[in-house]
Amino acid sequence: MRGFQATEQGWQAIVEPEEARILLSLSRQLQSLLADSLEPDARDDGAVQRLLPDAYRHDDDAAEEWRRLSRRGLVERKVSHAATLSRAVAAPAVADGPTTITLAVDDALDWVRAVGDLRLVIADRIGIVRDGDEGTTVEPGLRDLYDWLAWIQDDLVRVFESTEGEGSHGE
Amino acid sequence: MWNDPVNLMTYVSWVFRRHFGMRREQAEHAMLAVHHDGRATVAEGNREAMERHVEALHEYGLWATVEKVPR
Repeated sequence: MRGFQATEQGWQAIVEPEEARILLSLSRQLQSLLADSLEPDARDDGAVQRLLPDAYRHDDDAAEEWRRLSRRGLVERKVSHAATLSRAVAAPAVADGPTTITLAVDDALDWVRAVGDLRLVIADRIGIVRDGDEGTTVEPGLRDLYDWLAWIQDDLVRVFESTEGEGSHGE
Repeated sequence: MWNDPVNLMTYVSWVFRRHFGMRREQAEHAMLAVHHDGRATVAEGNREAMERHVEALHEYGLWATVEKVPR
């Protein structure tokens, strides 16, 4: 996969079938983790705590009320971001060769958030808790995935910046 | 906003610009304050407004909380 390019048709990138399969698998796992996150026993999962942190640190009642009012909607939106990612890579995952994917700006916004959520989950699974943590190497592939997703996130931010900046330059 | 070791500095800074409408220098400054001090206040106002910010920031995968301050 090379970086996204902003074109008149939308944001385009070329993905290899293998890359699309990885993104598809990860985004489906994320959707299922999020769906389970509404169950009471999911609160002990460190990844769920990162995806859906408490809004109040020292006020249990306020934290509980906020959870009750906002969690379901937040989970639904996060699931929908991950679903946008799944949809975009579903066909490329079963293609014979590299496929050009085209994203509308709203899709790209879903992508950057879904990719960020995937990194939060993987960080928990490989034990990245503080700045400078390298993560355990129990599953070396996960660290590579984590870095690859960072590259995708950074690339999407780069395109957002290059397109969003247009309106304000030269004024 | 709380520092986390996962989100890229470029991403955090971009979210601040996009969500709060911060200027580039302002967003960089806020991002670096979070990064170096472990936390920084990025918005002040009534409870409902701050809860909406927190929800939006959680949607971006950032770690934000609401805290009551005396006035």
